[in-house]
Amino acid sequence: MELEVIKIKVKEAIQQVTGVDAAGISDSASYIDDLDLDSLAILEIAVAVESEFKFQATDEELSSIRTVEDTITLVKRRIFAEVA
Amino acid sequence: MNSVPSIVVTGLGMVTPIGTGREEFWNALIAGKCGFGPVQSFNTSGYSVHLGAEILDFEPKDHVVRLRTRVIGRSSQLAIAAARLALTDASLDLETIDRRRAGVCVGTTSGEPHFIERFDDRYVQGDIANAGDGLIRGYPCHVVPSHVAAELEFAGETMMIPTACAAGNYAIAHASDVLRAGRADIMLAGGADCFSRITYTGFARLGAIAPELCQPFDRNRKGMVPGEGAGFLLLERKDQAIARGARIYCEVAGYGLSCDAHHMTAAHPQGEGASRAMVMALKQSGVAAEDVDYISAHGTGTPTNDRLETIAMKKTFGELAYRIPVSSVKSMLGHTMGAASAIEAAVCALAITHQQIPPTMNLHEQDPECDLDFVPNQARKRKVKVAMNNAYAFGGNNSSLLFRASAA
Amino acid sequence: MKRVAITGAGVITSFGDSPAALHSALSDGEKAAYRLEDCEAGVSACRQGGHIGSFQPETYLKGKPLRALDRTGRIVASAAKLALENSGWTAEILCKHDVGLVLGTMFGSVHTISEFDRRGLTHGASYVSPMDFANTVLNAAAGQTAIWHNLRGINSTIACGATSGLMALGYAADLIRHGSQTALLAGGADEFCFEAFCGFDQAGLLCRCNGHSEFPVPFSAQRSGFALGEGAVLLMLEEWSAAVDRGAPILGEIRGHGSSYDPAANGECGPETIAQAMNSALYDSGIRAAEVSCISASANGSVFADRNEALAIRAAFNGSGDAVPVTAIKSMVGEALGASGALQTVALLQSLQTGVLPGIRGLEQPGPEIPALNLCRRKQDINAGFGLINSVGFDGNACSLMISGVGLEFSRGNEISVKAAL
Repeated sequence: MELEVIKIKVKEAIQQVTGVDAAGISDSASYIDDLDLDSLAILEIAVAVESEFKFQATDEELSSIRTVEDTITLVKRRIFAEVA
Repeated sequence: MNSVPSIVVTGLGMVTPIGTGREEFWNALIAGKCGFGPVQSFNTSGYSVHLGAEILDFEPKDHVVRLRTRVIGRSSQLAIAAARLALTDASLDLETIDRRRAGVCVGTTSGEPHFIERFDDRYVQGDIANAGDGLIRGYPCHVVPSHVAAELEFAGETMMIPTACAAGNYAIAHASDVLRAGRADIMLAGGADCFSRITYTGFARLGAIAPELCQPFDRNRKGMVPGEGAGFLLLERKDQAIARGARIYCEVAGYGLSCDAHHMTAAHPQGEGASRAMVMALKQSGVAAEDVDYISAHGTGTPTNDRLETIAMKKTFGELAYRIPVSSVKSMLGHTMGAASAIEAAVCALAITHQQIPPTMNLHEQDPECDLDFVPNQARKRKVKVAMNNAYAFGGNNSSLLFRASAA
Repeated sequence: MKRVAITGAGVITSFGDSPAALHSALSDGEKAAYRLEDCEAGVSACRQGGHIGSFQPETYLKGKPLRALDRTGRIVASAAKLALENSGWTAEILCKHDVGLVLGTMFGSVHTISEFDRRGLTHGASYVSPMDFANTVLNAAAGQTAIWHNLRGINSTIACGATSGLMALGYAADLIRHGSQTALLAGGADEFCFEAFCGFDQAGLLCRCNGHSEFPVPFSAQRSGFALGEGAVLLMLEEWSAAVDRGAPILGEIRGHGSSYDPAANGECGPETIAQAMNSALYDSGIRAAEVSCISASANGSVFADRNEALAIRAAFNGSGDAVPVTAIKSMVGEALGASGALQTVALLQSLQTGVLPGIRGLEQPGPEIPALNLCRRKQDINAGFGLINSVGFDGNACSLMISGVGLEFSRGNEISVKAAL
């Protein structure tokens, strides 16, 4: 899967949870500071992403997510790890 | 306040993962017995956690006499058992009371989840046409107090207050108000919740369930352990209790209820709402902060709750907080959801009766941020005249109940 | 004891979102325009009842994403917004005062609970929605509404089946009467959903349409069950002198309430239990039966419950029940479960203020087992006075609430003694 597709799908998951337009979400956006999300919404996005890409993040991975980029990196690592 | 009647606790009944009935339960608490084990009631192989606090030896037919156990849900069965135990404990002769002035008030988190779970099983199998009437006759959570009232033939107010993990406190608070207002002569007040796949799945998904132990206030605590149970208090006016020669455990001195209005599943970061509830309870009871001898904490064992609860206690009591012993019996029972604060209310009544405080078990290395006296691992004999019972719930529902030894 | 003023109300109903619009529609004998989805029509022969199709949460809830709220949360938060506006509680004032919320609901969000659980079954336990989980507790809507509107006072949820809304009003009124609260939103809500509809259908409680499309008529000889609706209704209740001090509009007063349970119920509440609740409310209010201007019955077309309530009304009014006009607005709104008691209260308050009581839509011939009562077939004028609202549940619970409008002139009828309730 291409990186661009991953980014789009992650941002679509964010849009579904927050209502914010996916096209306007920057990779570097912080969930708490820029997107103004609480812990439940952040977890909701993580679960939506897990469901979309068919993996399960560990508690440590979940607790280290701060930005959209962190989520994209996590997906990349998990998808390409399975391919490799 | 002189004309407001004093409300007392004259009966206690509970069904818990560590014991059933007042004596067995209290002995288990003081001995530090824990009720955790691998979940038996459904398959947890698709989950990352497997620990629960289930009641493995509950036989409904031992307690349910009038209603048909096949038809009523498990929460109702547990509630009936605990309610009957409380009635028996109170030595109340039901022939002497006006049933229209005998009421039931219950708290719960899930009500009767097995009915909705069965409905959903059929739904995903495409078999909804055979779902049956359980979703109306067995599921809506008001059936729990209804079943208790039907079983005991009570005809007064029956109410369900489903304020989740603080519900028992809400039920006891309301029942005491009903008695003070003269709307009833006796009230059975408590909470009940059975082990639930829905609840377990949700908490597992939130990462809130501990893998091995419930360790409230411990530095290495990893979460709560979902459980099940029921606890009931028999409440009546003090003058009536004295007139019938009842044994009085303690008075319900007062309560405080508030809302964080902050977050659905996480408490206010400065303990604002929880502290307000404690302050309201002290004010309503006319009890001074320095007179509190014991606090039964919410103490679920999650990293967040225990830290924020400590902040709230310090906010309320200031330096005094360091001198008030606090324990969490969830370290032994797990989190019995809507039953928790009702069972913990009974613990307060028993602490006052026995002048002894149950321990917080599994407290090996205290969290430096939770630096109060949490009565680690060993029950403690102590003067207990006033006990505070705190409970917090989803939706930011905060509750504090104050119990006080009854002056003769 | 303090007095309980009603200073405003917010309603989300099939007849719109204002108490005046609601009352106008009821007085004109309109029928709720509910909408059934295809999947719902597919499980039941009943074609009555359904969703309020016109509800747009964005109209009322602005400035924050709505995803966290499920539909029940949205209708409650919307009703709260309207009630707060209606009674003059602005965001600035709410920062300085702890207003509470007491919400009655039968199911909470059974649809959300069910969807959460089903997702776990079909996708696996790891892929359930955390946000949905937060809404699986019955106090979720009350919690979400408190967050949305900064309501930091007592936050309680009352689940007593179909009597939830009225029980919540009684619970809240008592908190004010006994001095522990000064301002509370109180009422009830339930959303229409597939699960509830399916459940009621399989329990045999919904009206049988028998090929014709008539909305069920309470007390009628042809009744066969009720039509399931939905709604959210919240009243602002305040301690009277505090309301006067802040210059609040005072629309009415809650005078008292009573409830009881039928331990032999087995699904039906007997007439003695319903009469007990009514007598308790009369006794609690210190009001004589002769002073009651109107009764808003719980009757919804149920075969047994309508009969039992009619018998109870006759008994509680000591055989003179035929004098007091009785309406049954579920002939038009259907059975809105947790919302119904509060909905009846708002509608009756409007009636007491306008002097117009809606009729029971479609009532031609009451069933032969219905005792002689003054059942209003058409809207009629009523005297200002006291109004009694009944709520009868499916599981043995019965509740009654007494209200008055403001600016009353009592019209004293014959002296009728109230049977002591207790």
